[in-house]
Amino acid sequence: MKNVLKGIVFGHRERNWWLTFVVPIVSIIIALLVGAIFIWSTGRSPILAYKLMFGASGLFPGPYFKNHFAEMLLASSMYISTGLAFAIAAKGGLFSIGAEGQFLVGGIVAAYFGYAKPFANMPKPIHLTIIFIMVMLAGGIWGAIAGWLKAKNGIHEVITTIMLNWIAIYLIEDWLVIGPMKANVQTGVSGTPYVSETAKLPIILHGTRLNISIIIIIVVAYLTWFMLYRTTFGFEIRAMGYTLIYNMEAPKAAGVKVERRVVQTMFISGAVAALGGAFIILGILFQFPPVFEGGYGFDGIAVSLIGQNEPLGVFLAGMLIGGLRTGATAVQLAHIPKTFPSIIEGLIVAFIALQELVRYLILKLVNANRKKHLEKPATGGAANE
Amino acid sequence: MNNSPNLLNLSIAQTLDFAAPILFAALGGVMSENAGVVNIALEGIMRFSAFFGVWGAFVSKSPWIGLLWGIAIGIVLGALHAYITVKWAGDQIVSGVAINVMSMGIITYLLEFVFKTTGYSPPAPYFGSNNMRVHFTFLKNIPVLGAFSNLTIIVWLALISTAVVHFVLYHTVLGLRIRSVGENPHAAETLGVNVFKIKWLAVIWGSIFAAMGGMALSLGTLSSFTNAMPMGKGFIGLAAMIFGKWTPVGALIASLLFASAQIVQLLLQSSASGIAKQIPLGFYLALPYLLTIGALIGVVGRAIPPAADGIPYKKEG
Repeated sequence: MKNVLKGIVFGHRERNWWLTFVVPIVSIIIALLVGAIFIWSTGRSPILAYKLMFGASGLFPGPYFKNHFAEMLLASSMYISTGLAFAIAAKGGLFSIGAEGQFLVGGIVAAYFGYAKPFANMPKPIHLTIIFIMVMLAGGIWGAIAGWLKAKNGIHEVITTIMLNWIAIYLIEDWLVIGPMKANVQTGVSGTPYVSETAKLPIILHGTRLNISIIIIIVVAYLTWFMLYRTTFGFEIRAMGYTLIYNMEAPKAAGVKVERRVVQTMFISGAVAALGGAFIILGILFQFPPVFEGGYGFDGIAVSLIGQNEPLGVFLAGMLIGGLRTGATAVQLAHIPKTFPSIIEGLIVAFIALQELVRYLILKLVNANRKKHLEKPATGGAANE
Repeated sequence: MNNSPNLLNLSIAQTLDFAAPILFAALGGVMSENAGVVNIALEGIMRFSAFFGVWGAFVSKSPWIGLLWGIAIGIVLGALHAYITVKWAGDQIVSGVAINVMSMGIITYLLEFVFKTTGYSPPAPYFGSNNMRVHFTFLKNIPVLGAFSNLTIIVWLALISTAVVHFVLYHTVLGLRIRSVGENPHAAETLGVNVFKIKWLAVIWGSIFAAMGGMALSLGTLSSFTNAMPMGKGFIGLAAMIFGKWTPVGALIASLLFASAQIVQLLLQSSASGIAKQIPLGFYLALPYLLTIGALIGVVGRAIPPAADGIPYKKEG
């Protein structure tokens, strides 16, 4: 019974299942150490840098904790949305790098339905519901295009999602924002007009900017887990992912409509990524600005990988990355550029990629200890599981 | 370029200039993926080498030293990618993402650390300056061929590399081994091919090409490093490789197509009149990417990767 529960909760029934948790944690620790060496080698103080970064990250209590905590959750909700988008596709054996474009599509749709006249005077709950439905539809369709092109024409999703990212960026930033959706010049606003009051996400922590986006994304993360592990649909998606290198022959033989599932998976993935775009427009910026600082889609890939493509893992990894990014501005006080967290992020992902090595080292360590204490030969497998 | 060369020649020369970084990235992908190792780190390697190339050229006052610095960092990153994916059979996509993410942070950090600037480096000696270009004066006034009269050495290296990769992959024993490792590593192993060695070689060689692509931007087209580099060129190179069906000549054609779409966009924008003037800028900018998808649907059809592409190889037993 205990084992079955373990298997259900962690999705791993093999030996040494606990490594699923330990590998990311060890990777994070090693990455922080390597990052410290990097700072030290450029003649700056790693201790000061980490103290500033984690002090302002909202992950640990400290001065202004309430504010940092709120900012961390605010940023996390976006990283979790793009992270989940990647994870959902990855579970189905699809490598979608389209979250960046879907995020933007979600943002521009949220901005439009946020200020457009017939909607702007509706009661808040109805207005927000309409916006989120439209956002998820638009993002989903943007994702489903890539899925459809793969299913019908066999075009690799990597190439289409890359292309769709650029198409989204150019059409939105160099057409919509400066053309049809441009704010009235006389108001002095550049970018799109500001969304109406009824389109702003309700604040849940007084005195901060923290809004319901974090609650929405917790629900979405739970629904993602439920979909993947508690429904036939999710089972079929995972079956596709497991048999990817055999051209998904097994699920096909079992009657899974693989082509349809590919389109559906990409739709869901796109819809979840677009949510993040709505969060940033309706909760932080309140308009689509002329210059949009993106990158959430690409960071989502890292978030998902650190979280081992599992919804719970993605959630925790999103909090970590959100925290590091929140603390980034404080790092500048130690004369370190605020892009520093992306070094840590990259290093963590590098050690995740090296997980065979990390696993091997951990097991060697553990087994050596067992040997010493129990004086019994260990039987743990090494790198060749 | 004193004798007012005709527009055609100028456009072709410009297309080649635009195509060089894409082509190098695509060749990097071709080398690595034919040996079965997916390399989406092209973008990150280009960023590293674009910076290190300028750094080297700035310090030594010679673009050639810069080129060596860039190639060196390409080898280091290629070795890192190979260490993760070949030695430890790590996920190739994950490793590539790691290098890309690290490139964002590390290069911004180094830019500030080395040059004390944000945004862009000071200018360094580069291959685009008039005395560094390859001059074929006798070609100057001939249509089409005239485009080749005044190119940078980097563009020539890109074109020569395409021929070299084609020759190596399809006309040498080494090429046969590389492709066999990408198609069926277990069969190759039984025939006595050292799969790991071939993979290491192909990944590092591919990374050197990617590094050249980065320097085509910072030492070829421009004379300095800007923090936005390589502006997605690595990913476009990846697309060009898929578009060209994992072959060097296909990559060349795809790179030229992508680059010419950008040139057409520039020409249309500057010379547009009437209805064409009404079309917003965004459509012109999105055109190359729409063209790619359109061409993939209509002309190229299914792109089939090497059979064992992306699958970590582990020895049995």
